[in-house]
Amino acid sequence: MTVVTAALPQAPMRRRFSLGAVGWTGVLLLVVLTAAAVFAPTLSPYDPEDTVADPFQAPSRAHPLGTNDVGQDILSELIFGARISLTIGFLAAAIAIGIGTVVGLVAGFLGGWVDVVLMRAVDLVLVIPFLPLMILLAAYLGPSFWNIIIVIGILVWARPARVIRAQVLSVKSLDYIEAALALGSRTARVIVRHVLPAVLPLALAQFILAASNAILIEASLSFLGLGDPTAKSWGSVLYYAQVRNAFISGAWVWWVLPPGFLITAATLGFAFVGYSLEEIFNPKMRARHGPGAG
Amino acid sequence: MWRFFAGKGAQYLLVLVLTIALNFVLPRMMPGSPLVFLAGEDVGFLTPEQRTQLYALYGLDQPQWRQFATYVANLARGELGYSFQRGRPIAAMIGERLPWTLLLVGISLALATLAGAALGAIAAWRRGSVYDLGTLGVAMFFESVPSFWLGMILIAVFAAGLGWFPIFGAGTAGVALSGWPLLLDRARHLVLPLVTLTCITVPGTFLIMRYSMLSVLGERYITTARAKGVAERAVLRRHAVRNALLPVSTVFMLNLGFIVGGATVIETVFSYPGIGRLLYEAVLNRDYPVIQGTFFIITISVIAANIVSDLLYPLIDPRVRQR
Repeated sequence: MTVVTAALPQAPMRRRFSLGAVGWTGVLLLVVLTAAAVFAPTLSPYDPEDTVADPFQAPSRAHPLGTNDVGQDILSELIFGARISLTIGFLAAAIAIGIGTVVGLVAGFLGGWVDVVLMRAVDLVLVIPFLPLMILLAAYLGPSFWNIIIVIGILVWARPARVIRAQVLSVKSLDYIEAALALGSRTARVIVRHVLPAVLPLALAQFILAASNAILIEASLSFLGLGDPTAKSWGSVLYYAQVRNAFISGAWVWWVLPPGFLITAATLGFAFVGYSLEEIFNPKMRARHGPGAG
Repeated sequence: MWRFFAGKGAQYLLVLVLTIALNFVLPRMMPGSPLVFLAGEDVGFLTPEQRTQLYALYGLDQPQWRQFATYVANLARGELGYSFQRGRPIAAMIGERLPWTLLLVGISLALATLAGAALGAIAAWRRGSVYDLGTLGVAMFFESVPSFWLGMILIAVFAAGLGWFPIFGAGTAGVALSGWPLLLDRARHLVLPLVTLTCITVPGTFLIMRYSMLSVLGERYITTARAKGVAERAVLRRHAVRNALLPVSTVFMLNLGFIVGGATVIETVFSYPGIGRLLYEAVLNRDYPVIQGTFFIITISVIAANIVSDLLYPLIDPRVRQR
């Protein structure tokens, strides 16, 4: 999906390193969801894999969100689903940012034909229709936890690479980099010791935005039946709700609404934090949104 | 200008080559016999002689480069092979489905671009106002909502619940309609998928327009225009919006791939008979040739749309013409 650098309400320059209300809302959302994932065994009333009641039950005191088509407790499914959805989001984003940072660093610092080739690759990845390509890859590789992560990871790196490259270009011309090179440091050492630390905060912002993206993509893949069949994510709960036509009966209120809200909450949480961090760490956005643009 | 086109052209050619190569390599790279992916999973039950026959039929006994040449030649003639689920030519299956997707994606893209640009321009102009923050919040929300879920909710409320719209499909089955009733029937089926796809597409355009407008409003020529007494509305329309639209047209292109992907999921939810639904059905049936053919056609469409917008771009941005 297109993630566009949003312009969030600007904090005054003095408070540059505070997250702002939007950022903290994001943090709060993420803390709550992560806590649910960590304490899932304590929090959830049942084992999500166990058949604990009759199928298709409406919400009751024993099952606050009813039961699914095989009599599993939906609330427990959702609490445990946080583990799968968040883990996939994190790991896929980590792979994407790993690739994106290396590509951005190398392309930006070395310049020349290396830069041209790598940036062409970025353009290429951005042109190819994203979800159909994922469906193709997932269909061939087969649905599994790691395949999903790898597929998302190797397709989400392009935008971070571009943003990080831009940052590298502006860092490269700074005096201390030139000084290090003049002193005879090897290129690799300069990149790792001097350039990388300068782009790391921005990479963090990009990582969080990529995680937001990855959670949404995982949900779509799981919904299309290409998710890991042995792990219950929020997307796969919706997959079964769709297959059993829950949205045509009244069951959508407890079977379809809650998982969607959770996916949205996680995606929004990451996006809020990511955009806020980007606003803080991306000097270009600061300059654009500084007093001059007001 | 010609360098601009040459660069773009080379890029699309590369995408095309990559797509073809991927389609060629994937079935041959997977563990087990490529026959499974080319002719269906039933090949496990065949006798060795039958297998050899099939190998020859699919040209798998020939050297790789030869296979690739044949593959490309077939593609060039528009032959995408046969569905092993239905035994029908894939090109024909796609031909039936493509118009529906074009209808859905085309209208939705136009609506979303117009709405996103207009809303974004106003938001930037009234920066920090309740309107600005409100639309920004709504845009962030819709950018984070899973499209299929939005579709399911719309079906539950407006189709199954209120009964205003049909639940699935692109037309009422088993009823012979013509003229206006036919058009009305098609339109009623189109509304919910269209609304879903548009809702998730608007935020991208909105956010970039708002951002671009904010930086344009900070330019000196805007101050100049205001200083020389141009009315605020005219400043906005003649000076600000025109220039702010440039990045939007770039996002428009990037959006294409995204929108087509979004359409895949949404067509699935609404059982809308487009090419995305075909892709989904093919995945369910493990009908690999159809998955490949559909992916190929989707990529071609996105490239085609990109080329059209590239050709139009110099009309919008005079600077490109001078290069």
